[in-house]
Amino acid sequence: MIASHDAVDVVLALCLTMAALVCLFDRHMVRACRLFVAFAAAMTLAWWRLEAPWLAVVELALGVGLTGLCFFYALGRVYADAQSSLKHDHFREPWSRVVIRVVLALAWFVFVGAAIRYVMADMVYSPTEHPLLLAGVIITATALGAFALHQHLIRRLLAFNLLGSGVFMLLAGVAGTSLAAQALISVGLLVACLGSILGALLIRQLLRLEGADALGQDDRPKERTT
Amino acid sequence: MIWRFGLFESTFEPLAVTSWALVVALGWPLLMGGLAALAPPKRAWPVLLASVPLLASGGVLLWSFEGAGLLQWQWSIADLHLSLRLNGLSVLLLLMAQWISVAAALYTPGYLRLTDSGPLSRWLWPLMGVVLSALSLIWLATDLLTLYVALEVLGLAAVGMLMLSGKVPSLVAGMRYLLLALVGSLTYLLGIALILGHWGRLDLQGLAEVIEPGPVAWFAAALMGAGLALKAALFPLHAWLTPVHENAWVPVSAVHAGLVIKASLFILLQLWSLLLPDTFYAPRLIAWLGLLAIVWGGLLAWRTDSLKTLVASSTVAQLGYLMVAFPLLLGPDVAPFPRALAWEGFWLQLMGHAFAKAAMFLAAGNLMLATGESTLKGLAGTSRRLPLSLLVLGIASITLMGLPPSAGFTAKWLLLEAMIITQQWWAVAALLTGTLLTAAYVFRMFRYSFDETAPRHRYQPLAPGMDLIALTLALIAFALGLLAHYPLELMYGGSP
Repeated sequence: MIASHDAVDVVLALCLTMAALVCLFDRHMVRACRLFVAFAAAMTLAWWRLEAPWLAVVELALGVGLTGLCFFYALGRVYADAQSSLKHDHFREPWSRVVIRVVLALAWFVFVGAAIRYVMADMVYSPTEHPLLLAGVIITATALGAFALHQHLIRRLLAFNLLGSGVFMLLAGVAGTSLAAQALISVGLLVACLGSILGALLIRQLLRLEGADALGQDDRPKERTT
Repeated sequence: MIWRFGLFESTFEPLAVTSWALVVALGWPLLMGGLAALAPPKRAWPVLLASVPLLASGGVLLWSFEGAGLLQWQWSIADLHLSLRLNGLSVLLLLMAQWISVAAALYTPGYLRLTDSGPLSRWLWPLMGVVLSALSLIWLATDLLTLYVALEVLGLAAVGMLMLSGKVPSLVAGMRYLLLALVGSLTYLLGIALILGHWGRLDLQGLAEVIEPGPVAWFAAALMGAGLALKAALFPLHAWLTPVHENAWVPVSAVHAGLVIKASLFILLQLWSLLLPDTFYAPRLIAWLGLLAIVWGGLLAWRTDSLKTLVASSTVAQLGYLMVAFPLLLGPDVAPFPRALAWEGFWLQLMGHAFAKAAMFLAAGNLMLATGESTLKGLAGTSRRLPLSLLVLGIASITLMGLPPSAGFTAKWLLLEAMIITQQWWAVAALLTGTLLTAAYVFRMFRYSFDETAPRHRYQPLAPGMDLIALTLALIAFALGLLAHYPLELMYGGSP
């Protein structure tokens, strides 16, 4: 269980939350991806602190290494070909959309918080004893909101990865780092990494075929279904 | 409900030959898929040869189940328990997955030869193998870890398979499917986290003994339900389905609509019967959404101009029938007899729809290949020139509409009987509305095909056997209705 008054944990949780928030809402995508790598490095440290060295190794290899590489590849920084590399997200979201997404994220926050309150009854009396668990709840809520809000595919992929990290943190916080939990989280990390690789390849292919505008037309289902 | 899923102690140990058949059923598709990626088959006969051991393994598993009843395999690593079980339902679903996948694989060489499919086409084979293996694992697995792994592998392979055609709309739709499927599986994982945190175990049989209804079970059921409903394209979360199918290759669509989305539905029902036995509101909510799905899917299919969109939208509506049966399966105060009827009707409808939908996609693919058009108007004149392809489409539609003597008819009859006994009149109304809407869009499609006045250009000749494969699948859907007593008996075999 994540339960300690340790100052290191509090600092780590704060770092994770800040990195995640900035990464989710920075329109400068290269900076956001750099922050994602920093976030994954902090996650590695967190797994090590939670006495799950195996998960730390997996996170370092898949999260920091492969997934980070994927994002820079998708941005056109690793393997620069004829296409211009991407830098900024220029898609604008209307206010109504933003408000709905904020409500969604808040509802999710309350839902997950309530669920965890029932699983861990002692959490109500001492919420500050579980800094990483709290960070997990905040990160999942904001990442889900950001995932629903953004139109740019790279930013949605980033939001998905942060949502994944938040969920793994919640899993470790709720269920501890038993063998079963570690197996679940390793599988989750592997799937997130494979998904990111597939996503990055797709984004590059779309860029090659259609240009940068194709990365935003994701959220108009009505036009194509009817 | 729990015993129906085979979550109890078995009487007999599995024989060695049964275990080997299991290994073949799970491993052979991977092996053959890998081989086919190295040397892609150009004709159907190597595929047929390669699928003989697979079909034989299905036969051996069926024979073992008939002899010994429920069978279980278990492994333990420290505090981690992995287990598989083979009961009547999983045998039936396994056979369904194997037959439909083999039919799609036999169809593929001819299809790839006639369309200019590009260099990516060799990757279709390993992805198809992975999909079949993961599906077989899902029907058999009884612990949350194995189910999670299989579901993830299935999802990623399915996304890869759907995007192989490489066109821009298919890439955009596929990217959307990928992101939604990944987020859906994270929601599912969070549900597992709650279960593991509260009850400390992952094997379904053990969980069935310790789970008591309460807030944790409700939260876990809601999270897992949302994730799986997204992957199964249940009604309000179905918008990704049609664009994905619009541009995918035909055999891929057949496997996806027939089998892949059913896997999530299977897991959903299995987990909810553990977590939410005898609850009132959750199954009711699903049933109301199912009612909307029937109407909305039917209207979409009725209004569309594209043949593939019609077939894909009708999947949304047909899943609605299965959702409407949820209160009968999970609700409180349902007598044993109507519950048994609903259980039989549910799985018969699922299997009948899988075969009919696969047949329909293959037949629609034949028509689109031959005419070179993908709209309903392009079907003009096909009744005279391509009678066999149209006949297959007709037989598959009979199952979808639920006319006798197809599987759709028998399944709906069973469901209707259960609904009338429990006096759920709105569900009866939903089923009847669905039948009318299905008839409306099917007859609209046939009206175009009997149009003789259109000027007719040349038809592309099809590869041998392409019509025959679709016809076989459609006839199996038909036979499931005529000979329904055999699969239904199988579902009860080995009960305690």
